[in-house]
Amino acid sequence: MSPGASNWIPDWAAEALAVFAKEWRCELRTQVALNTLGLFAVTTLVVASVSLGPLGVSKSQGSALLPVLLWLILLFSVAAGLPRAFVQEEESQTATALRLSATPSALFCGKLLYSLTLVAALEALITPIYVTIMNLEVKDPALLVGALAAGGYGLAAGSTLVAAIIAQARSKGTLFSVLSFPILLPLLILVIELTRNAVLGDPAGLALGQLLLYDASVSIFGLMLFPVVWNP
Amino acid sequence: MPGTRLEFENVRRRFGRLSVLQGVSGSVAPGEALLVTGPNGSGKSTLLRCLAGILAPDAGRIEYREGERALDVAERRLRVGYVAPDLAFYSELTVAENLRFFARLRRVGPERGFAVLDRLALPTDRMVGALSSGMRQRLRWAWALLHRPRLLLLDEPFQNLDAPGEEGTRALLAEHLAEPPGGLAVIANPSSLEIDRVTGRLELDPRLGR
Amino acid sequence: MKKTLPWLLWLWISAVIVGAFYYAPLAAKFIGKSSRILFFHVPMAWVSFFAFIAGAVWSLLYLLRGRQERHDRAAAVAIQLGLLFGVLAIVTGSLWARIEWGAWWNWDPRQTSLLISLLFYAAYLALRGAVDDPEKRGRLAAAYALLGLVVTPFFYWVMPRLAPITLHPEPVVNADAKVEMDTRILQVLLASTFAFTVLFFWMHNLQCRLQALLARREEARG
Repeated sequence: MSPGASNWIPDWAAEALAVFAKEWRCELRTQVALNTLGLFAVTTLVVASVSLGPLGVSKSQGSALLPVLLWLILLFSVAAGLPRAFVQEEESQTATALRLSATPSALFCGKLLYSLTLVAALEALITPIYVTIMNLEVKDPALLVGALAAGGYGLAAGSTLVAAIIAQARSKGTLFSVLSFPILLPLLILVIELTRNAVLGDPAGLALGQLLLYDASVSIFGLMLFPVVWNP
Repeated sequence: MPGTRLEFENVRRRFGRLSVLQGVSGSVAPGEALLVTGPNGSGKSTLLRCLAGILAPDAGRIEYREGERALDVAERRLRVGYVAPDLAFYSELTVAENLRFFARLRRVGPERGFAVLDRLALPTDRMVGALSSGMRQRLRWAWALLHRPRLLLLDEPFQNLDAPGEEGTRALLAEHLAEPPGGLAVIANPSSLEIDRVTGRLELDPRLGR
Repeated sequence: MKKTLPWLLWLWISAVIVGAFYYAPLAAKFIGKSSRILFFHVPMAWVSFFAFIAGAVWSLLYLLRGRQERHDRAAAVAIQLGLLFGVLAIVTGSLWARIEWGAWWNWDPRQTSLLISLLFYAAYLALRGAVDDPEKRGRLAAAYALLGLVVTPFFYWVMPRLAPITLHPEPVVNADAKVEMDTRILQVLLASTFAFTVLFFWMHNLQCRLQALLARREEARG
């Protein structure tokens, strides 16, 4: 038993938290992921708003178009910055040490937790800017936050597992997008609909439940499939 | 502990067209060290990776028992102590932070690791990225011994070490083997090593792959 | 039996083709003679979907039954065939769409979901192409195939959202299990679906055997 660990935290959870802490400690010293995600997202956002500005998106068009654009920006930013969580381990050859010391499920949860916090930080940065720049009037902010949370979770969970897969293959950059987009597509459609509902003030409907079910499914199966992906 | 043993039989591994291991066998009992030698490319590292469980052999049987219980691959992976040239740690963290992290993963205290570092005279507050190759090797030893493993798998264990470093690690190996109930070790090296308690030798030939 | 199966299959398919053009009547709500394409397009789409399920099952067998190479091979070949039949289904579907709706592509939910599954098959094959080591390739591909399987039900939920009124003809077997199409059309359609499924298995068997032989030859050389 690790000295200093409280008795009420199971060992497994302590392991996952150790991974989470390590990820952030390394990240805060190098800031690679934060910079990549943030810079990519802001740049894309600026390009989008500058391109749309002259066209003058009307209110009705806006509610159809702008949710889509927001999630595309989030999706591509995640694709740019998130796979690093596993790719970096393979490329700097620290993966061997991890394979020989970590329980796979705890490792997956630790990495997932890290991805979640990254995505949350990204959403917290981008969404206010987006809403402001695009003059987007959100009638139901609570639902928007819910959509960001549930959608962000699904993005992080799906991306973490796919990152673990492509980290062991060649041409990781392109392969990540190719592999993750078909998996994430149902998530995107559901969360875009929810976001649109939040903008228009419509009720969430079935989409929220289905989205949560998607999140749960990907988490459970990600947890089950990860040991297969991670270890020979 | 009776019954503790490492046995491997007819281990095969190919990479594409290249058959690196073509049926290698051996066994190690407590207190014994198996020395695997052979020129570059003869499959020594491949064999050790298979024994560690980080590479799956194409065929053959690898069985590691502690006490009366045979461990499966997942358990074996977490139980062995492994030193190899390509083993790397987090360069953005200090030596101490690395050790503490892996100790938390292994659910043990870091004391053993720090004790080894102390014996090998490696300062713990340095960034791993700033370590020389010899210091990195000392860290690998500390990391490998962190969880007091019964089985040590050592691939070129004295590589890059200066005289004091080699002396210190040799002592650690001798203690590992001697301390009751007796540790096991498989050591791979391009050239033969003068090690006490070497009870078995395996010479790999790249032409034969075994 | 192995020798006679191809001949039987050819006979059966010939009968289906004849039946499609001469035996079955034209469907009521279709323009001109375009309903004939139904007998080929629907089975192709069905086989494409079936191939994916088969691939996922073989992937599961690979992971659970000792990582046997033949299961991994079977899964890969199934997905390849899924891609082939899927492309054929999209082409025949687009031909029909042009005639019936005036445009090759309409973002009809069924069209779109077929396209997305093709993206998925292509991704699976791209993953296989990016891993050299057979052991690693097998388990990474199997994991991805199963991940795709997990996500598939959500597509069926989500697709109808794209267009509230689908342009696709309504499913002709409804909840009561009452069949609403002409019996002759149904007969030929079922016969064709059966033929295409057998064709899938036959092609799958051939391709697996071929790849196994190639693999053995590679190993003998090394």
